[in-house]
Amino acid sequence: MNIFKAGPLGPSLAPRIRRSKSLFRWIKPLAEWYANIAGYRQMGLRYDDLIVEERPDVKKAISRLPAKEAYDREYRFRLASQCSIVHKSLPKEQWVKPEDDVRYLTPHIEEVVKEDQEREKWDTIAVERK
Amino acid sequence: MLAARATTRTVLRVRKFATAVDAAGVKVAAIDHGQPTSSVTVLLKAGSRYDTKHGVAHVLKNFAFKSTNKRSALGTVREAELYGGVLSSSLTREHVALTAEFLRGDEQFFVDVLASYITSSKFTPWELNETVLPVVEAETHAAQSDNAARAIELAHAAAFRKGLGFSVLAPTHSGITSDDVQAFAASAFSRGNIAVVGTGIDQGLLTKLVEQNFSSATASSAPTTSPSKYFGGDTRVASQDGVQTVFIGFGTSGAPSPELAVLAAHLSPKPALKWSKGTSPLATALPPQTSVQTVLLPYSDATLFGLLVQGATVEGVREASKAAAKALKDAAATGGVKADDLKKAIAKAKFTAANAVEDRDGFISTVGSQLLSGSPSSLDSVFTALDKIESAAFAKATSSLVKSTPTFVAVGDIYGLPHRDEIGI
Repeated sequence: MNIFKAGPLGPSLAPRIRRSKSLFRWIKPLAEWYANIAGYRQMGLRYDDLIVEERPDVKKAISRLPAKEAYDREYRFRLASQCSIVHKSLPKEQWVKPEDDVRYLTPHIEEVVKEDQEREKWDTIAVERK
Repeated sequence: MLAARATTRTVLRVRKFATAVDAAGVKVAAIDHGQPTSSVTVLLKAGSRYDTKHGVAHVLKNFAFKSTNKRSALGTVREAELYGGVLSSSLTREHVALTAEFLRGDEQFFVDVLASYITSSKFTPWELNETVLPVVEAETHAAQSDNAARAIELAHAAAFRKGLGFSVLAPTHSGITSDDVQAFAASAFSRGNIAVVGTGIDQGLLTKLVEQNFSSATASSAPTTSPSKYFGGDTRVASQDGVQTVFIGFGTSGAPSPELAVLAAHLSPKPALKWSKGTSPLATALPPQTSVQTVLLPYSDATLFGLLVQGATVEGVREASKAAAKALKDAAATGGVKADDLKKAIAKAKFTAANAVEDRDGFISTVGSQLLSGSPSSLDSVFTALDKIESAAFAKATSSLVKSTPTFVAVGDIYGLPHRDEIGI
């Protein structure tokens, strides 16, 4: 994905960092620390729940979630909004564990973005007669 | 006189037919008349009679030309458009057929498109929900608004119960998941289950392309079905709109017999010249604004034969049904069909059989099903079988046909339409 283009996932250096083994080893604890203090896990959310959904491509990706995942996502939102109303985090045992914080939506978004890009490619293709 | 003429024309009748060869375990046949367009059809023995879950074959048919590992659904459509080709898929009770029609010379691309569906379809759940199922439901709705199509579907259900009795169309809320389709496809796409039929393409070229592209097709076990058995029975379904429809039919198990084709030709009131009245025993007996069509549906191991009666009013359909039932019984009685009428019917049946393989669709379905069943027969053998029919054999075949339990279907005003016992069968 082109990081300079405004995609639904925003620019990310993660793929470059992951490519370099030593850099990855240095950055990973920092990233984990950041994810923990960001506070969304304490409200029962996963990282992919924070992706802005008011865009056609993300909406389409959400519609492609399996029924169970769509239901769970909705449940996490209810829980988080309740936490927001009462100005409290969840009890510590209900925090989302780092291993549960999976990117469940990103693959679907990437798929949709790929489709959109392909459509754009076909719409603007220049055909050469052989 | 007719018979004598038929034999003198034998020389003209000889026509070159596609020869079948095995390429990578896939049966291939092609015929080339030198026309400017070619077509390649991939025929799968995975029609609705092999349904593991009702409608899965219909969904599989609509999954054709969706995304594969090689190209996306959009890519397939756009690329085919650039080549100026037409891609289509169709479904019968026996087969799923995927057809590509294109200009001569583009075969490389189109065989690749067909092969990638067989070897690397993705069957994603979102394509099922976003593009496949809406079309499946629309097709089912469209077919249900046609009383004739409904009557034929119901007749199959009553006649064969399972297997051939399964509806070609998926129910509107079928509950079919992409996993179901994938599992069905895995068995449907096995090598021995595929036949490739080409028209307007050189046999050697097609064989080479099939060998190249279909080599990664699996050799898993093909879908199974139990042999068909004819039961028969009555079905009445209320329908508020459309014409009043009655189907009166009989069926047989086993290979289709040529006598039934002759019986259909004898009874068919369709005139040889438009707007004239035919000489069929039915043609003169029909009240105005009613129509009768003969329905002859031969399958690999059973046949459904019947008369489809349609009309605007129940009274008209009642009269026409009585006339149809009478004509059917008269034809089945000993000496019911005069020798001259029989000859006329045989000539008509021969023309129908020959005409059916003349156009592309008819040729593909005839040759394809013969390839898959492993019993290739030429038009000549069909002609020979029809020519051999004598009055006695015809009477025997037809009387044993009408002795079986009738299949009677009424679609429309079920309180006004006749019952089976009222029309005397």
